[in-house]
Amino acid sequence: MKGKGVEIRIGLGSCGIAGGAEAVRAAIEQEARQAGAGAVVKAVGCNGMCHREPLVEVAGSDGGTVLYGNVTAEAARSIVRRHVRPGAVQARLRWAAERVAGLFGNGGARARLAGYRVDRGSGGAASYLGKQQRIVLENCGEIDPESIDDYLAREGYQALDKCLRQLKPAELIQIITDSGLRGRGGAGFGTGLKWDLARRQPEGDKYVICNGDEGDPGAFMDRLVLESDPHRVVEGLAIAAYAIGAAEGIFYIRAEYPLAVRRIREAVRQAEERGLLGRGIPGSDFPLRLEVREGAGAFVCGEETALIRSLEGERGTPRLRPPYPIQRGYRGRPTLVNNVETLACVPWIVRRGAGPFAALGTEKSKGTKVFALAGKINRGGLVEVPMGITIREVVEDIGGGIKDGRKFKAVQLGGPSGGCIPARLAGTPIDYEALASTGAIMGSGGLVVLDDSDCMVDLARFFLRFTQSESCGKCTFCRIGTKRMLEILERLCAGQGRSGDLENLELLAGHAGRGSLCGLGQTAPNPVLTTLRYFPEEYKAHLLEKRCPAGRCTALIRYQVTAGCTGCTSCAQVCPVKAIAYRPYERHEIDQDLCTRCDMCRQACQEQAIEVVSP
Amino acid sequence: MNQTLHQRVRWAAWIAAAAVAVCVLLLTISYAAARLQAPRDEKTVAELKRKVREDASFAPRIEAEHKRITAALQQRRKRDDVIAIVLLLAASLFVAAAKWLAACGGRRQLPMDRLVQLKAAPRQGPALTLPAAPGGAEEPHQAFVERIVEQHGRSREAAIPILQAIQAHYRYLPDEALKLVCELTEITPAQIAGSSSFYSQFRRSPRGRHVVRVCHGTACHVAGARLITDELRRRLEIPGGADTDAQRLFTVDEVACVGCCSLAPVIMVDGQTVGKLTPTGACDALDGIRSPSPA
Ligand SMILES: Cc1cc2nc3c(=O)[nH]c(=O)nc-3n(C[C@H](O)[C@H](O)[C@H](O)COP(=O)(O)O)c2cc1C
Ligand code: FES
Repeated sequence: MKGKGVEIRIGLGSCGIAGGAEAVRAAIEQEARQAGAGAVVKAVGCNGMCHREPLVEVAGSDGGTVLYGNVTAEAARSIVRRHVRPGAVQARLRWAAERVAGLFGNGGARARLAGYRVDRGSGGAASYLGKQQRIVLENCGEIDPESIDDYLAREGYQALDKCLRQLKPAELIQIITDSGLRGRGGAGFGTGLKWDLARRQPEGDKYVICNGDEGDPGAFMDRLVLESDPHRVVEGLAIAAYAIGAAEGIFYIRAEYPLAVRRIREAVRQAEERGLLGRGIPGSDFPLRLEVREGAGAFVCGEETALIRSLEGERGTPRLRPPYPIQRGYRGRPTLVNNVETLACVPWIVRRGAGPFAALGTEKSKGTKVFALAGKINRGGLVEVPMGITIREVVEDIGGGIKDGRKFKAVQLGGPSGGCIPARLAGTPIDYEALASTGAIMGSGGLVVLDDSDCMVDLARFFLRFTQSESCGKCTFCRIGTKRMLEILERLCAGQGRSGDLENLELLAGHAGRGSLCGLGQTAPNPVLTTLRYFPEEYKAHLLEKRCPAGRCTALIRYQVTAGCTGCTSCAQVCPVKAIAYRPYERHEIDQDLCTRCDMCRQACQEQAIEVVSP
Repeated sequence: MNQTLHQRVRWAAWIAAAAVAVCVLLLTISYAAARLQAPRDEKTVAELKRKVREDASFAPRIEAEHKRITAALQQRRKRDDVIAIVLLLAASLFVAAAKWLAACGGRRQLPMDRLVQLKAAPRQGPALTLPAAPGGAEEPHQAFVERIVEQHGRSREAAIPILQAIQAHYRYLPDEALKLVCELTEITPAQIAGSSSFYSQFRRSPRGRHVVRVCHGTACHVAGARLITDELRRRLEIPGGADTDAQRLFTVDEVACVGCCSLAPVIMVDGQTVGKLTPTGACDALDGIRSPSPA
């Protein structure tokens, strides 16, 4: 399409910015200014296709859209020229002249532009988008997150309006219960039930907290929703507050997400300005005060009781439940804690009723789940799939299979509380109970795909190091049990395993899980137990043969130059410790005593003549 | 940029371009002339051959004619060679000059190097532009802390926001400021010690001028974050156990997921995220910051 009134949308989530979207925006704005008319340039959030960042979408006045991926500043200029009809005469002349000049270049701008185009109807993008069902992400990447008008134009705040005008809290909660929505923060507790319990608490001050402390390393769903569609979360929180009769709501967001914090603050400000929150709502006496607080960098603060302690200004240590926060939480008052994604589902359910949501998914897990697809996958990013779809479909159809043609080994689900599901169980459906039966958990939605170059012992050690350093130290089993387990894993990875290590590991895992107060310690053994269960041969190789089959553990591997070496000296030039002598046209050799296994030579070698061996 | 040098290079480019045009013109003319001359020469020779059959005395004339044609051919060849060499030289001069101009942003002044630039524009990575290092100490501690306390309140509950504000200002928690907080509020030294050691965001010792956060989340771990940290530490010569280099220019932190997992491995330099890195790429990103802001 070409013409006036086109809208050019640039994905400016933090992933887009990291991919260079600011330069693209500058180029587009400059070009559009030159054109003198006709184009609206809009910064939107991320539509989830992070593997193609920076993304630019052009929407015509007829409603059709064209999407471009991996856009460079140069390509961005061409996009503007392709789609915008310039209003200014000079611009028209200049563009025509430059187009003629461009013909002498690389086959003209138009031909080159085709390479950037993401055709949603076919190829990768079609299977990427085809199996998805967008409820939480419906607006992501399409609206300007800093503009309330954009959200309002998409039925925004209508759900809240409907609640206030037509629904009594009990009726509202019934809708949520009927929809089958369960908490997306990890545990999967029924949201309707939780709200109902909170509502039945004695009158008085109550609080709602939106848990945006996404601590699971490898997950970024909440960040993306907060950055790309903040008003949806604000609306969800307001509805929850109305349902349980709370007058105060708090967003608790990790400090590592500065953009999310800024956008939520802005969204709250705009909503208050329009009188959508607080006393200004016509015909209702529903006062609501919203506050945004930043986390200070502690994984355990994602746990609800620890989160509340942290809001109170103390060290974020969890406490025994019951009493649940619903009974006694922030400032000793009933407090409802819900995850970002849970709240983001709510406006949709209220608008459309419980039926459409409950129609999706399996018997016990309804609706959709957002996953952060990352790791060794071709098309990483944020995907929202209906419950019940299998892991294989997510990895192969949506994710486009494994990167660099390697072999699919396992997926890690649920981060440090979750586990590894091996490729042979990839037929497992996305469903709270089915996933739990494999030893992993649904978790918050981090889905990291692993290939045959990933070592499972190393991965278990990685997660244990994380939980060990994040353990708040309150429970002995969590504090010391994880420490001892980590020591065993460090030994295994260093090739210094002792007999009995594997048995001890299992024993400690059991104790730590049972002897801990909060989910952190209870689930910390999961990564170890699942890898031990599904990949025992790898542990044995580390223990008995002092060998790392995946070639990861630096103490157990060596780098070698193969016969394919042409003596080009690339490796000798990059080696930071001079372990490779500079000998042109001769087969190089690596001095094993000096080598630090930094992998730079292998990356530099164009002949693929450097191999990793584990004796 | 050196203005006169720039001017000269521009002139060189123009002259070279002109020379290229002239050479091409000369070569074309020479070629055309030769093409026109060839049939005429052939006709003369054929004519002479016919005459020789009638009258043998014409034989030396043919000989002479052949000699003349060969000499002309050779002369033309030589001339063309010279022109071609000049053409090549001029063309390479032009390309070099145009590239130089394009590289220092001169493409607005020289329209024709667009052609070169269209072919050769490399994909530019996200540029790192950094804010000037915060001054920190202009405002006396007392005034600053009072302002912060005014903003966040005096209850125990305000402890974390107050510490965050102090950290944002000084980039670490100076003891003097913390003492003032205890004096001005209900917050106790024990609470400050507890919180500041519990949350990974807080630091009690000064940082380097730039903070490099290397993501060690799951996705970045499997994509080789360890190699990046090791290489950065080696390049910056940060000793084991420390996190800041000797010149206090860079602090290298390991953090959990910064939320850009699909761009793994990722580092964050003073709040700007850079992704899809190799160990060398990460070091280059730092070099980019180091050069414009000498310590
Ligand atoms: C160690 C630990 C970390 C947690 N981290 C998070 C988190 O980052 N985000 C989150 O929403 N819930 C997290 N939870 C779960 C919360 O305790 C709580 O169950 C959740 O916020 C409830 O919201 P939901 O009902 O909407 O799922 C964590 C739990 C534990 C034990
Ligand atoms: S794991 Fe590094 S950004 Fe998420």
